[in-house]
Amino acid sequence: MLAVSRIESRLAAYIAGRLDDAEEVRVESLERIFGGASRETYRFVLSWREGGAERQRGLILRRDPPGSLIETERAIEFAAYQAFHGTTVPVPEPLWLEEDPSYLDHPFFIMQEIPGFESSPQAITQPPYVKHAARLARRKWSILGEIATADPKALGLTSVMQSVAPQHVWSRELDHWEKVIDDDELCPQPIARAAIRWLRAHPPAPPQRLSVVHADYRTGNFLYDAEGEIHAILDWEMAHLGDPLEDLAWSINPVWRWGGDERCGGLVPRDEAIRIWEGASGLRADPDALRWWEVFSSVKGQAIWVSSAREFTDGKNQDLILVLSAWLVGNAQDRAMLDALGRLES
Amino acid sequence: MKPEVDRMLEVSAIALLTRLGPGLPSAYEKSTAGALGALLLALREEFERGAARRFEENAAIRAIFERALPVVADPALREPLRDACIAGTTNLAISALEAENARLRGLLIELHASLESQSGPDAASLVEVIWRELARSTERRKLAMAMF
Repeated sequence: MLAVSRIESRLAAYIAGRLDDAEEVRVESLERIFGGASRETYRFVLSWREGGAERQRGLILRRDPPGSLIETERAIEFAAYQAFHGTTVPVPEPLWLEEDPSYLDHPFFIMQEIPGFESSPQAITQPPYVKHAARLARRKWSILGEIATADPKALGLTSVMQSVAPQHVWSRELDHWEKVIDDDELCPQPIARAAIRWLRAHPPAPPQRLSVVHADYRTGNFLYDAEGEIHAILDWEMAHLGDPLEDLAWSINPVWRWGGDERCGGLVPRDEAIRIWEGASGLRADPDALRWWEVFSSVKGQAIWVSSAREFTDGKNQDLILVLSAWLVGNAQDRAMLDALGRLES
Repeated sequence: MKPEVDRMLEVSAIALLTRLGPGLPSAYEKSTAGALGALLLALREEFERGAARRFEENAAIRAIFERALPVVADPALREPLRDACIAGTTNLAISALEAENARLRGLLIELHASLESQSGPDAASLVEVIWRELARSTERRKLAMAMF
C-alpha cells in the first residue's frame, strides 16, 4: 500500500491542477476508512487559499485496490453519484473521476465527505439509534422506492449503464454472478448450484419497469443520524439497469439482520419493509417474482464471498474484511438461500 | 498441547479486542484489530470442530451415494459414485478431510442435478435427502457470531 504521506502529496498535486483559482493546495489528515473492500476509501481535509482567504473542505477518496471483492466499474459509480446528487435520493457530491493510474497508481474518484453521521450496521441496533428504527426504516425503504421510480434516461444513466431488454434482465444478472462462482470458487458450492438450477427453471416475470438498481442497498451503505434521518446513500459500485425487485430482495436478505433477530437490516420485519417500499414506489412486490429475486440475491451474495475468498487466497488483496466476509457471511448466505427455497430445517 | 489451543485463541482475541486494538492510532487500525479479534474467535470455534465436522459430513455424503447407486439412471455417474462409496481417507488431517470433502461435494452436485432430472418416487425421495443434508451442512459450519 502506498504510504499515506505519499498519497497526500500526490493527491494535493492532482487537485491543484483542477482548481484554477486555488493556491497553496494541501491534503491533510488523510485516513483510511475500514471496509469498502471494492475500493480503498480514505477521508481527508483539503486546504487551499483562494482570493486571499483560507478554505477547507472534507473529502473522500475512493481508489481501486489491486484486488477487490467485486469487479466494478468506477465510471458507473461516479455517474450514479452525479445523477442523483441534488435529487430526493441523498448522495455526496462527486467531484473528480480519474481513470489514469499515473496519479495514484490506480484509478480513483473524489467526492464530498458528509461528516458527523453513522454508517455502522451494528450501531443501528443500539442506543441512541435503535429508538428511531421505525423512522429509519421508513426513510430507508422510501428512498429505495424513489430510486426504483427514478427515470434512468432523464438522469443521464442510460448512456453509461448497459441497456437490457426487460425479458433478459434476470438472465443477464444470473449469468454474470454464476460466472463469478465458476471463475472464483475454491471448493464446490452445492447449495448455490442447486439454487441456480432452480432459478433457471423458474424465471420471474419481466420487471414492471426498467429501473436504476443500486445493487448493494443495505444497512451499512448509508449514513444516518440519531433522529432517524438518512443523509447519504453510498457504494453505488454495482449499480445497473434492471428490475427494482432486485434491490428490494437484496435489502431484506437475512444476512443483513444485524440485530440477530427477524428485523431486516436490523430495523423492521420483512413485511413492513415491503409495505413501505410498495407505498413509496407505487410498484407491487409480486410474491413469486420477489421470491425469485430473494433466491438470486443469495446466489449473488455467495458469488461475492467466493470471490473475496479467492482474492485473499491468491494474495491479490489481504484485507481482513475479505476473510471476515467469506467466513462469517458465506455460510449465512447459504442458509439464506436454503430459507428462500423453503429448504432450511428449523 | 496445554494450554488448549481454543483457550489461547480466546485469550489472544480478548487481548486484541480490549487492550491492544483500542490503543492503536488510527480508526482503520482499530477496526482491523477488531476484525482480527473476531477472526480469532471464529478460528477458536472452527479449531475444535474442524476435523469432526468434515469427517461426519463425508460419511453422510457417502451414505447418500450408497442409497443413490441403485436409483441413478445415468451410467456415467454410477462409477464415480461407486468409487466414492469405498471407505474414505484414514488421514484425519484437516487438509486431507477437506480435499475429500471437496471431491464428495462436487460429486453431490452432479448427483443432485441428475436426480432432479429423473422421474419416479425413488429419485424424488433422494432429492429430499440431499436437501436435508445440505441444510445440515450449514448447521455444521454455523459460527456463533453469524447473523443467520
